[in-house]
Amino acid sequence: MRPNDRKYTKTHEWVKLVGEDVVVGITDFAVQELCSGNEGDLVYCDLPEPGRSIEAGETFGEIESVKAVADLNAPVAGTVSEINVNVEEHLEILSRDPWNQGWLVKLQPRSKALDGAELMDAAAYEAFITASKH
Amino acid sequence: MTGREPWRLLLTWDGEPGWNMGLDEALLASLDPRPTLRFYTWKPHALSLGYFQRFAELEPLARDCVLVRRFSGGGAIHHADELTLSIAAPAEHALFRGEVRRSYERIHGLLARTFADVGVRATLRGASAVRSDRAESGMCFHRSTPLDLVWDERKGVGSAQRRRAGRVLHHGSIKLAASALESGVSALRTHAPGLEPVALARALRATFERELELEFTREEPGPAEQELAARRAPFYRSEEFVRRR
Repeated sequence: MRPNDRKYTKTHEWVKLVGEDVVVGITDFAVQELCSGNEGDLVYCDLPEPGRSIEAGETFGEIESVKAVADLNAPVAGTVSEINVNVEEHLEILSRDPWNQGWLVKLQPRSKALDGAELMDAAAYEAFITASKH
Repeated sequence: MTGREPWRLLLTWDGEPGWNMGLDEALLASLDPRPTLRFYTWKPHALSLGYFQRFAELEPLARDCVLVRRFSGGGAIHHADELTLSIAAPAEHALFRGEVRRSYERIHGLLARTFADVGVRATLRGASAVRSDRAESGMCFHRSTPLDLVWDERKGVGSAQRRRAGRVLHHGSIKLAASALESGVSALRTHAPGLEPVALARALRATFERELELEFTREEPGPAEQELAARRAPFYRSEEFVRRR
């Protein structure tokens, strides 16, 4: 079971409220789709400059594996307060710990209520990815 | 009704390089529910850089070339004697579902079975070493992965994907003849002299129809796709984008 302390999107990002900020990352499923367990297959991650304002659903960055470039989409609207430069330099973190050390950006959210219609809890996300495999 | 899945087939020969990339962006963003297979060629010939590639890596080669940057990743490709293809469909489509690796295996399987019909025995590289790899080259065809299609111990197809908003665009570049910028790579005409892009596209279309049980409708890009392609063409060949890194 994936962590139940956060919400998930259909494009495989997660978002978690931590104090005044929300933290955003990508799920283990997204990482597995991109690199099939070969952590060296992730080659580049481009994250936004702090201070940038982002709408819910907007692309805030991109991640490249050996064979695909994928957009990173904001689960909620807000202003980028911090990015995880460790991930940009050590992409293997995403394979090893996508839930904690592998966070990508922190946002000052426009609303702290993580109740957007597109956001799923862990059980709903589990059902979504199970359905998408068939 | 035939019960076969409806697909669109687009044939856009001799496309201007920026427009070629603009139309692929439009296909990735398309609202048409049908998957699309597009075959195309380039006029003038052009060098396309991968989305994240550093321009400096290619600068010596780029001097005499028309340049664009792709929105898909990987190394640079010299689009000269080749057939280029793009496949656009939702990420949950059977061709793209699951790990990226699986979609490459499916698509490269279709290509390999088509190549067999023209006398070329192409296989996935797997763990084998290939003779076309060049450590210092920024060219796509000089870097191989286990998922690449090879024959004669050399890479012959360059592939990349862009995944955006629940859709996928798969790029494929199939060498008919090697260019001076891509020395030592495989090409179909080594085994199939005189093979032209139109004939190869016809053979690939037949394989897709037979093996995926689909039915193509030959169409032109829709008005919204045409508009986006024309609007974005200058961006893809702009200094700003070509030299973004």
